[in-house]
Amino acid sequence: MLFKNVFRTLKKQYTQLLLLGVIITLSSFIYTAMDYGVGGIKVPAEEYFEVANQEDFAISMMDFMLEEDLMYSVLHCMPSEEVYTLSALKDTNSSCYYKIMDHRMSLITGTYSSISIELREYKDIFYDLSGDTHKLRILKENEEINLSFFTKGDAPSIDSEIAVGETYAKLNNLDIGDTLTVEGKDYRISGFVLFPDYSLAILSSGLVFDNETQSLALFTDAEFERISVPVGFHIGGVFDNNLTVKEFETKVLDNYKDSDNMYFVTSILLTEHNMRSGAIYGEIEGGEATGLMLSILIASIAILIVGIMVSKILQSQRGAIGILKSMGYKNSEITLPYVFFIAILAFPALVTGYFLGTLAAEPFKNAFLLFYLLPSGPINQTIGTFFVAVIVPLTFILILGYYIIKRILSQKPVVLLNPQVSSKANFFTKIMGKYLKRLKITRKLQHLLLYRNITKFMVFLIGMFYAAFLILFSFSMVGIMDRTIIDYYDNTDHNYIGYCKYDTVCDLPTGSQETVIELPSALVDDEETYLVGLKTDSKIHKLYDKNNDVTNELENGLIITKSFSLVKGFKIGDTVLLEVGNNSLEIEIVSITTEYSGNKAYIDIDSLSDLLTRSTGYYNTIYSETELSPDNYVIVISTNDIVDQTQRMQTLFDMMMFVTIIVSIVIGAIVVYILTVMTIEDNFYNISLFKVIGYNDKEIDKMIIGGYLIYGIIIFISAIPTAILSFIGLQLLMARMYNVVMPFEFSLWHGVVAIVIYIILFYLGAYVAKRKLSRISLQEAMKMYQI
Amino acid sequence: MSIKLEDVSKIYVMGEVETHAVKKATLEIKKGEFVVLLGPSGSGKSTMLNICSGLDNPTSGVITIDGEVISDMNSKELTKFRRDNLGFIFQQYNLLQTLNVKENVEVGREVSLLPFTVAEVIEQVGLTPQIDKYPFQLSGGEQQRVSIARAVVKNPKIMFCDEPTGALDEDTAKEVLGILQKLNKMYETTIILITHNPSIGSMADRIIKLNSGEVVEDYQNKTKLDASEISWG
Repeated sequence: MLFKNVFRTLKKQYTQLLLLGVIITLSSFIYTAMDYGVGGIKVPAEEYFEVANQEDFAISMMDFMLEEDLMYSVLHCMPSEEVYTLSALKDTNSSCYYKIMDHRMSLITGTYSSISIELREYKDIFYDLSGDTHKLRILKENEEINLSFFTKGDAPSIDSEIAVGETYAKLNNLDIGDTLTVEGKDYRISGFVLFPDYSLAILSSGLVFDNETQSLALFTDAEFERISVPVGFHIGGVFDNNLTVKEFETKVLDNYKDSDNMYFVTSILLTEHNMRSGAIYGEIEGGEATGLMLSILIASIAILIVGIMVSKILQSQRGAIGILKSMGYKNSEITLPYVFFIAILAFPALVTGYFLGTLAAEPFKNAFLLFYLLPSGPINQTIGTFFVAVIVPLTFILILGYYIIKRILSQKPVVLLNPQVSSKANFFTKIMGKYLKRLKITRKLQHLLLYRNITKFMVFLIGMFYAAFLILFSFSMVGIMDRTIIDYYDNTDHNYIGYCKYDTVCDLPTGSQETVIELPSALVDDEETYLVGLKTDSKIHKLYDKNNDVTNELENGLIITKSFSLVKGFKIGDTVLLEVGNNSLEIEIVSITTEYSGNKAYIDIDSLSDLLTRSTGYYNTIYSETELSPDNYVIVISTNDIVDQTQRMQTLFDMMMFVTIIVSIVIGAIVVYILTVMTIEDNFYNISLFKVIGYNDKEIDKMIIGGYLIYGIIIFISAIPTAILSFIGLQLLMARMYNVVMPFEFSLWHGVVAIVIYIILFYLGAYVAKRKLSRISLQEAMKMYQI
Repeated sequence: MSIKLEDVSKIYVMGEVETHAVKKATLEIKKGEFVVLLGPSGSGKSTMLNICSGLDNPTSGVITIDGEVISDMNSKELTKFRRDNLGFIFQQYNLLQTLNVKENVEVGREVSLLPFTVAEVIEQVGLTPQIDKYPFQLSGGEQQRVSIARAVVKNPKIMFCDEPTGALDEDTAKEVLGILQKLNKMYETTIILITHNPSIGSMADRIIKLNSGEVVEDYQNKTKLDASEISWG
């Protein structure tokens, strides 16, 4: 009979219980989906990195042939013609190129013990697929470090075969056996390949890792060498068994810039700090932490609401409980049905969340794999995840429920049989009452009714802050790719970039073209920089400082990008040492552009030409408004293709933003609904009294639930600085760890729209609650025993 | 403000059972009258008060207050009517625990067109020293005085009092009734008070007795006493 009584009591609150169930389900769903989704990548990724011997660190080096290289080459392999770069040397004298490379590598291993290193070579080629320009980075197979890993099929065994990435193939409906036409030659796809030094396909200086129009690829060694595009390179390295990361940091990272032997090294990055190879580590850790944090937040909201509801239900059952106690029922007999039904309600919700989470884990994992180039493994359910997703929150809910029940049951039957003594004004209501002295009483009540139940108020604040933060954070990603890449191309008028061949001079530019020097491995105060020599009166590549055209500032010094400034802390007025090959120049930073395109610096083309060749007029790149013929250049890049890639990535970001906002709104609306309904129930008799006195529905709405609107807006406004601080923190973290600036941005409209969303979700949540208000009859005030 | 009931009935239907809470009541209460509705539990006193005050609608009949037919009014119009004309006092004081005495009285003042000042009314009910106290710091009698002040501050033309002394001891009850009597005289407020205590009838201008939903007696009290002189039965 006791079970029946509790069941019927709970049945009356089915809407609230159902929505509470949704919140409980969401908490276990988010944890399970993220844990299994991340786990489905983590375990196979760790095995893959082990098998493919992923580099522990990467060494970037200058393409320029420096004085030491030239001296070495004179002694060992006299280059046949004058070349300035190693990539050019490889085309003209491959053996000399490898000798210099071996020499550079022997200098590294001679200086630092307990490490093994291997050269990683690649070539970037462009080809047309289904009318779009696609980019392939062909990596040369290594012998020890960063080995290729096949998710399907085999390595190319003949020169007319190619292996590409599985994600790229899927996104372009390609399969093993299909043919790709690259550089006029047909290649049969022999397999799908991964490379552990590219877990993210960052194939340029920008933050583009779109896998639909670019892929890593593998040819046979012979075919790799045959392709006539300049080679790119870095060195991958692993620690020997007795070297720790800490020791490597102390012995190598802290000292290499001071070592004369390392004259050619531009940077050494640990894999965990290398976006291209190690961002996945941060992503896995971040994913696990975010999943746990989000679900803890939602679970805490759910647990607090359970506590409030149990308390309310028991208060309404005081008399009945008192009678049961007086009849001789034991506390445990009275407690059991309540605990039983709490468990009956919470357990299926948690288990449902868990199973929905396991279902969502696969698409969640696949969403990761759209970005990350990793093998996909099956998702295996574990006891640990089930325990955290289901058992832990259930235990908390039951313990809290049991504690509340026990507290009420500890009272004597006679106390329970008497109506509850009126709740006194608490500390907060008294304090707030004083502060709000001057307000009209109806306005004052908006606040005081909330402060009357601090737990409920806390649930509201947490819930709204959670929703506000997620919404603002989502908004900060609006246009993130625009700011990273597209803004740059919008501000410039060149549509094509042609890189000149080494052995011939590019045609002189026509009216819509300009000469440029691009140098990917210059140093600015020892920091690797993509240096661009531009005309100070450039018409098709202007530089902007917020709103002003600062191109002609190039006459006075160096202009750097905003991302470079943020990452390295450079500011206007700093004098820096610019090193280009064997030449160096002290130069002042005169302006900072609004670009977020990596470590990039601009200099007057004549100064750069003079620095390189002791004469003006040198250039190696043509920027053009009109299309350039690929026959005249090593590579011609269309900026429209880059913009397309970027927009594709922005679409993904927008989708993530949309989902996050919807989840926030659902959680927020449920919290608002449950709390406003509870508030109306708590103030049942007060509302009736207000009606009797003559307050109309609008005034009563305002008094009873209007406070939620006010505090919700306050919370949304106060979430803005928190969100901004988080963006700044995340930006700094990304900059420090990966040298990458994520241009999160807060605009006034984000705040305004977030508040408008809150107002909508408030009215959405409060709508049904308000209908309850209108159903409270006037005579209730007469029946009331005590508030 | 006068109240006129013509053939007013109220029937509650619960399943197949019909309960006639008020049966064809016809009566008229004049402006400034202090009327006591007397009757045992279940006699229909509260129902009569509810329908007279527009808190509930009669099943049949017409209720007119100062020429305005309130039995035809919709909920919005009734709210406006109560706001402008009526005051209520209940057995339970219904004070807002988060507000102090002054603020509780302000709750009534804010919806009124021509309210009295809060300080004046609080003084009238003798609570000036307690003005900043919260309800839980007051005795039952003091709390009921606050609820009276809350009703009076609106400057209502009619006050409906539902067992206002039901939860009070004799001395406190007399004090509260004394205040009501004083306000009735001072502001010429029509007061309709329901009680099951016949002794309270001795302070009224008029006594209406109800039984099983019917008006069984309706007479003027010719030996009206001061509240303090009531002999508590």
